[in-house]
Amino acid sequence: MSELLVVREISKTFDTGGCPAVDQVSFDCRKGEVLAIVGGSGSGKTTLLRIIAGLEIPDSGEIMLDGERINGQTNFLPPEKRDCTLVFQDFALFPNLTVWRNVTFGKGASEDPEGLEKLMAMAEISDLRDRYPDEISGGQQQRVALVRALATKPLLLLLDEPLSQLDPELRENVRRELLALLSESGVTTLFVSHDTEDALAMADKVVVLRDGKTEQMGTPTEAYRKPANSYVAKLFGKTNLLPADLVATGRHRFEDPEGGGELVSVRPGDWRVVDPAHDSDTPVLTGRVKSIHDRGGHREILLVGERFEVVARLPLGVESEVGDELSITC
Amino acid sequence: MKLILTSLLLGLLAGFSASAAELNVYSHRHYDSDAVLFDRFTKETGIKVNVVKGSADQLIQRLISEGKNSPADVLLTVDAGRLHRAKEAGILQPVQSKKLRQNVPASMSDPQGHWYGMTVRARVLVYSKERVKPSELTTYEDLAKPSWRGRIAVRSSSNIYNQSLLASIIAANGPDKALSWAKAVRKNMVRAPRGSDRDQARAVAAGLADVAIMNTYYLGILANSEVAEDREVAKKVSVFFPNQKGRGAHVNVSGGGVTSSSKNKKEAIQFLEFLTSPKSQNTFGEQSYEYPVKIEANRSELLESWGPFKADKVNLSILGSKNSEAVKIFDRAGWE
Amino acid sequence: MISLLSSPKTLFRNLGREFRFKLNVWTLSALVLGLLVFIPMAEVLWQLTDPAENWEHLKETVLGRYLKDSLILVAGTVFLSVAAGVSCAWLVTCCEFPGRKLFEWALVLPLAVPTFIAAYAYFDLLDMLTPLLIWVRINVGPDEMIFLSDFLVYPVTALVMASVLYPYVYLLARASFSRQGGQMIEAAQTLGYNPKSIFFRVALPLARPSIVAGASLVIMETLNDYGAVKHFGLSTFTIGIFRTWFALNDMAGALRLAAMLMLFILFLLFLERILRSGAKFDEVKNAIRPFRRYRLSVGGSILAILCCLLPLAFGFIVPLSRLCLWAGATYEKILDSTFVNLVTNSLSLAACSSVLIVAFATFLAFVGRYYRSAGVHASNRLAILGYSVPGAVVAMGILLVAGQLNVTFDVLLTGSILTLILAYLIRFLAVAWQPIDSGMEKNCDRLNEASKSLKSSAISSLVKINLPLIRSSMWAAALLVFVDTMKELPLTLILRPTNFETLSTRTFDLTSQAQIPESSVPAICIILVVVFPVIWLNRKMEARR
Repeated sequence: MSELLVVREISKTFDTGGCPAVDQVSFDCRKGEVLAIVGGSGSGKTTLLRIIAGLEIPDSGEIMLDGERINGQTNFLPPEKRDCTLVFQDFALFPNLTVWRNVTFGKGASEDPEGLEKLMAMAEISDLRDRYPDEISGGQQQRVALVRALATKPLLLLLDEPLSQLDPELRENVRRELLALLSESGVTTLFVSHDTEDALAMADKVVVLRDGKTEQMGTPTEAYRKPANSYVAKLFGKTNLLPADLVATGRHRFEDPEGGGELVSVRPGDWRVVDPAHDSDTPVLTGRVKSIHDRGGHREILLVGERFEVVARLPLGVESEVGDELSITC
Repeated sequence: MKLILTSLLLGLLAGFSASAAELNVYSHRHYDSDAVLFDRFTKETGIKVNVVKGSADQLIQRLISEGKNSPADVLLTVDAGRLHRAKEAGILQPVQSKKLRQNVPASMSDPQGHWYGMTVRARVLVYSKERVKPSELTTYEDLAKPSWRGRIAVRSSSNIYNQSLLASIIAANGPDKALSWAKAVRKNMVRAPRGSDRDQARAVAAGLADVAIMNTYYLGILANSEVAEDREVAKKVSVFFPNQKGRGAHVNVSGGGVTSSSKNKKEAIQFLEFLTSPKSQNTFGEQSYEYPVKIEANRSELLESWGPFKADKVNLSILGSKNSEAVKIFDRAGWE
Repeated sequence: MISLLSSPKTLFRNLGREFRFKLNVWTLSALVLGLLVFIPMAEVLWQLTDPAENWEHLKETVLGRYLKDSLILVAGTVFLSVAAGVSCAWLVTCCEFPGRKLFEWALVLPLAVPTFIAAYAYFDLLDMLTPLLIWVRINVGPDEMIFLSDFLVYPVTALVMASVLYPYVYLLARASFSRQGGQMIEAAQTLGYNPKSIFFRVALPLARPSIVAGASLVIMETLNDYGAVKHFGLSTFTIGIFRTWFALNDMAGALRLAAMLMLFILFLLFLERILRSGAKFDEVKNAIRPFRRYRLSVGGSILAILCCLLPLAFGFIVPLSRLCLWAGATYEKILDSTFVNLVTNSLSLAACSSVLIVAFATFLAFVGRYYRSAGVHASNRLAILGYSVPGAVVAMGILLVAGQLNVTFDVLLTGSILTLILAYLIRFLAVAWQPIDSGMEKNCDRLNEASKSLKSSAISSLVKINLPLIRSSMWAAALLVFVDTMKELPLTLILRPTNFETLSTRTFDLTSQAQIPESSVPAICIILVVVFPVIWLNRKMEARR
């Protein structure tokens, strides 16, 4: 079986309050994969991660890591005995130890000095080894925390909101570097994030959680293009939710839990402007431009019609004014 | 685990502390005269005396918990009631000796020989020379009269001396009369019981009270104090021995006995004989202002100046047997 | 902990979890050790189930008086302590007047004076009122004089106790005011409140949890006291316990009183929990910006100085001066070769106790937190109950257990230093545990999880991570225990080994032989030894702000 991690129907309720934090969540993770767990706050993603790490005990369900049952009805392997390592959101570097002592702290970390040096070089922290955590920047701290975790050569690496502590400008670069580091070391990774950009940039597979339940599983692109419901659609960025009959029948659609009928998710960038005079093989929406927002590289308009209100992205070159009539299709 | 082993070891070591030529004495008495006497004993007999000082009741409790492993040989304490209590608790063993029978009158020792009196003190009325005439005083019982309202000062009933006094009153008049006496006297007190016997004398000297109940030797201590104010207090008050036409003034002893756990019985008896010998008895009179066990044998001038008196001849072990009854009566009388 | 009790189902689930997953050498040892510490107190509580022969008698006669005196004294002392402590804390934190900086640390000094020594320093306070009483008897009547004389004991005793116990309230209120002072007061200022309204309507309610905590400390210390209450002639529960035990020779009755006292204090602690429960906002975590203190007018400054000077004078300056005067007159008599023994005994006893108790507390706190074991948490809470129990009761519990061990194993445990130190452990574990546990909570919880995830061993975490990070908390804990053991009296009196005297027992012995001036020499030694740790601890608390 090439599934490294098997999570079956894990549930956990904290005693205060009545709602389960994690509710019958199941998924698999292959060796070498990068899997993202995304959801809003309160979705249970951090709790799930901590359960996998062994820092929380679930109420029911089982987890298998590399064929070994680490969580089950009658057994529970403590974190020290699991072959997975968790990197915390705030990095949790030991403030009284130097970077070097931090990095070599874990079990087995000093067994492969060459490998460790390579890792540190890759993460560009070799020069920092004699510094203390409060003397280095946030980005450097994150890399130290990563190297510290990777140094124990875990089967599974767990990351809790790896990018949330960093400045927004840095995030794209860091995503790339992080991905490079992870694929170099070849370690199976599971990370948790509220920012779906992380999943889209780095993950092979994504699990979407809401209120402790799985909403969708699949590749990030699938979740982006073919969301299972409006929650997932909105989670992955700005989108328009329209009744299915307004758009082409080929498009992916899903149930609308509130109104009945079916909905379609159309991203602002999916629209193209058409000339109402020419025929089009896809349904055309015609409406009036209510507002225009300049977004630097493009403009966003709000188009209002009889049965719809749509946000669409206008490419440069298309002129339009408030009050104009415009036709779009997707 | 290590803790238990270490304490076991320490406990065993503690048991080995007294060797042949040593005596472990648990003493409540804190008078300087004692040190003098103990030194003299060591000089005369070569037996070293190790003294453990403590408050009397705590010493007894400790002896009880130490049980047969206790290193103590002799218990010296004040008040016949306490000595009786020690006997009841099983921490004293009966001893007999000719010298002890000679030195100590029968009423001043335990009938079975568990303890022997060493010194005597009387619990007397001390009154203000200015405001009270001796003719106004007669008996303890008289203090219950309303004419004494707000004029009496006595210490707390927690103190064993008061308990023994009440025990003697129970023995003489019965528990019901004793209860009404205690109630009335408490009502006549100028304040809730507070302080030591000497503080009651000071209250009398200060004019707060007119009469106090206290032990005789405290007056000696006051009169000979280095502190000028204390000597002034002694000058302002006088001693009155109550119940002279009846059973006599209430007396009590300080004394001692050999502990049940003692491994040096012979030396311990020697020690008691020494303390009750005439020479030692005189030292008590001179230095700690206590009457000798044979009151008539008194040689001290100060004690002579208080005058001869008739002492209550009841066997002092009754102070012990009626002690808990006395405490309960105090509780019911509201005498704190 | 509360979650443990939320429903039977979760309780069983948690218990099951506890047994299946969290039992190991560490948690088992911690559980056993914690329970061992609790056993003597449990034995005392158990006495409530035994019928005591004299209980009916006690109930009818003296129980009412013990209750009455205890309650009145506690009420008076708490009232005075809170009044002095809160007002001084407010003035010193939020107002500016000459001498403020001096008072800020000096107001803590009375903590160096044990209650029984304060009583001896003021031994003649009641006697000084004699002329008044005589005047009343002559001009009004003997009945009124008696009433007055009985009544006056309460306020005088409460005053003496409060003068050295108010620092508990002062310290906690001061910390609370300075934590929230900045933000709340500035907000209220912009809304147009004047200083008095801000004090009563903003600062006081916010500081309520700290004030309640300080007041409960005052209550516990008041109920624990033996020397002062005995001297002034009040009949509190502790006096009742001693009297029933020694005078009535009724150990069972005394234990029952002790158990009642314990129940009462547990109830108080429970009340305190409730009164403090709105207190999440008390723990403001962000750093405090300094704010501009109120500049007081000349008249206001004079009042403020007086307000701060009074407690300081009553609680420290006057007692210390009197004691120094007496010591000057009597030191030649007292300072003999045995005196050195006294000092070394006290110091080494306090030092050994500190080391042992801090190690114990660190172990218990670490195991509880590292393994997040509800069982260990529970046993820890039981183990630290000893602080709320008066020293006399702890001593009785130990004697009970030692007596039973003596009978079963024929081993003499009483009369050794070890027993005394074990008694200190039971009584003062809480004192060390609080700072260490909160230090761990603040600094180490997350790091322990990281360490576990890095598959490092528990020992490794303890030694390499926790100990270095809580070093200052451990120092604070050690000093606090040191100060408390140096000041301790009732427990030491009962359990001290053969010929082993400490400065406090010598002080007490001398006074019980009516040698009050002579007792000043060992008393001053205690104060001198303790005052420096007190000042240092105070500075540390301020530095943290």
